[in-house]
Amino acid sequence: MGERKPRIIGFCCERHGMDSAVLAARSGKLYDASVKLVEVPCAGRVDGMHILKALEDGADAVFVLGCLEKNCYYDTGSIEGRKRVGYVKSMLKEVGLEPERVEMFNAASTNAWAFPEAVSKMVDVVKRVGTMGSGGEGQ
Amino acid sequence: MKAGIQVVLCRCCTEMPALLDMKKLEAMASAADYVVSTVVVDAVCDGKNLADAVRAAREREADRVVVMACHKKDISPGLTKAYKRAGINEFLIEIANLREEVVLPHRDDPEGAQKKAESKLLATIAKSALLTPLEKSTEEMKTKNVVIIGAGVSGQAAARIASEAGAHTIMLEKSGKSVKAPGIVLPNTKVIGCKGYPGNYTLTIQAGEKIEQLDCAAVVIATGGGWTALRGPLASAVKDSIPLYKLYDQLNASQAPKSPVIIVDTPDPAGKTMKVQDYAWDETLETVIELKKKFPETRVFVVFQEMRAYGLNELAYKTAADLGVKFIRYEKASPPKVDPREPTKLSVKDFAQGEIVSIGIGTLAFASIPANPDNLVVAEALRIPMSPDGGIRRGSIQRGPVSTPRPAMFVCGSAMFPKSRELAAAEGEAAGAMAAAYVKSGKIEFGGSVAQVTQEKCSACLTCVRTCPYEAPFIGTASKAEIKMQLCQGCGICVGICPSKAIELHNHTDEQIAEEARTLLGGGF
Repeated sequence: MGERKPRIIGFCCERHGMDSAVLAARSGKLYDASVKLVEVPCAGRVDGMHILKALEDGADAVFVLGCLEKNCYYDTGSIEGRKRVGYVKSMLKEVGLEPERVEMFNAASTNAWAFPEAVSKMVDVVKRVGTMGSGGEGQ
Repeated sequence: MKAGIQVVLCRCCTEMPALLDMKKLEAMASAADYVVSTVVVDAVCDGKNLADAVRAAREREADRVVVMACHKKDISPGLTKAYKRAGINEFLIEIANLREEVVLPHRDDPEGAQKKAESKLLATIAKSALLTPLEKSTEEMKTKNVVIIGAGVSGQAAARIASEAGAHTIMLEKSGKSVKAPGIVLPNTKVIGCKGYPGNYTLTIQAGEKIEQLDCAAVVIATGGGWTALRGPLASAVKDSIPLYKLYDQLNASQAPKSPVIIVDTPDPAGKTMKVQDYAWDETLETVIELKKKFPETRVFVVFQEMRAYGLNELAYKTAADLGVKFIRYEKASPPKVDPREPTKLSVKDFAQGEIVSIGIGTLAFASIPANPDNLVVAEALRIPMSPDGGIRRGSIQRGPVSTPRPAMFVCGSAMFPKSRELAAAEGEAAGAMAAAYVKSGKIEFGGSVAQVTQEKCSACLTCVRTCPYEAPFIGTASKAEIKMQLCQGCGICVGICPSKAIELHNHTDEQIAEEARTLLGGGF
């Protein structure tokens, strides 16, 4: 099977998460075009099901980007989001997938570097563990 | 349900066509399901272009709109207003950020950008088809009262600005001191409870022995610092230690303090560390210069970890040093110590020389303000979280610098963390203005994209009740969870955590989010 480009889905909260992505773009940062963003009202809105469904639909990696934990617009939203990502990680381990495929990041709306950094981390993860299905059954 | 979608593609002057094949995008949009009209405009933020797009939507009887342009927060107000006038529900306008998500960050990869833009377009159309129209409700405020807790520097500033802006202010002061401020001042009064929702809070106040109810629309917390609560081993070893403002008062009364030693940092009650206080630098310098000018013979020591006098205050640092004030810098690892058996000697390891210096204490003054112990009572009563330092916690900075996590409650001055007088006054003014602006319309707007419980699915497990930061869910009369619409902020934390999947957030349902992700992934990379 030939090398294909990675597919990465990012769930961004519409407060600090999306704002940091917008600021990154406006300050001229470039990142991989394989990353596609879904806007959610808050990182706490992201359910384990959304992440698992995205992986099922063909994403190689999924990340959630929320506000900084002490500066969350909805007070505890990004803490809740992190808990759910942790839960999904443990589930992935159970079914034999790499838990690194799912990650939670926090950003402030003034952190222009946070978003490209998160993206490049996820791209690196996919490069390391391979795209979904590339390893065959043995791995 | 039949949906008619209008797709508006914004050229963003020349930015989009420079990278993307607009013709192809337009053709894709026209071919998609439900799309009844596709418009390409030069700049949707331009009034004339927007009017053209709205006219086209009306002609083709579109009932929802997909706008592929730039950041939602920039263009949303104007767009919503224009489409609302054409009879399109504001919750059916979906704005996708093509400029900052595709064009700007992928300008080195036109092929990838084009593919991403295509999948984004299809995903937004798919999401738009699933949206449902929503209505916002309004309710009259019972009163236009703004309650200000604390009659200190920031509280008085808040009262002045709020009453100038037309709000009716009620100031609660825990002590019996007389305060000249506009509106009503209630001395010897404390807040002990709070009910209701933003715009219609009911506070329980204790005035002397009596307990009363007080309706208000907004609350400003200005409890200030806890001057009387100097703690830590240093303050307890030296009996007559005073806060810096008392030293300043002594100076104004022309009393010569006996060989003062000023500690700039806050002592930690556990006695292990001293916390650097950034606001205290300027006030310390101001006081010591005043002191040296009035009583040049007095020996003054200032003990600190860091001295960063901002801007022109750097000159004050120099002036103070020229006047003969002794500055002693110490390291965090070795804070100044007083032997309780000999409380007149302060021993501190000088950072520059590395030697232990012993200073005789006449008056020990602390330039820092410890957190107010009353904050605990106020935070408990108003149900606002506290910061680890014992202050009232500030909400996310996107809500505004004087906001708390609860809407229509504002916090200013040293109630958050220690501040200088000027800053406290400025913050008080800001909080007063915010509160007055909130009560001005006299109407509470709520609803729209909020959570709703499907009662048949609810197992009354209380998970949502415990998780919601705004205390919106409650167990209703049917022994099932219900959501108080006026309190719901539409974050969806309860939706994600509900084990029975009984709660849904309007226009951010599981189906919509999953559909958007699926279309994005299916769009080909």
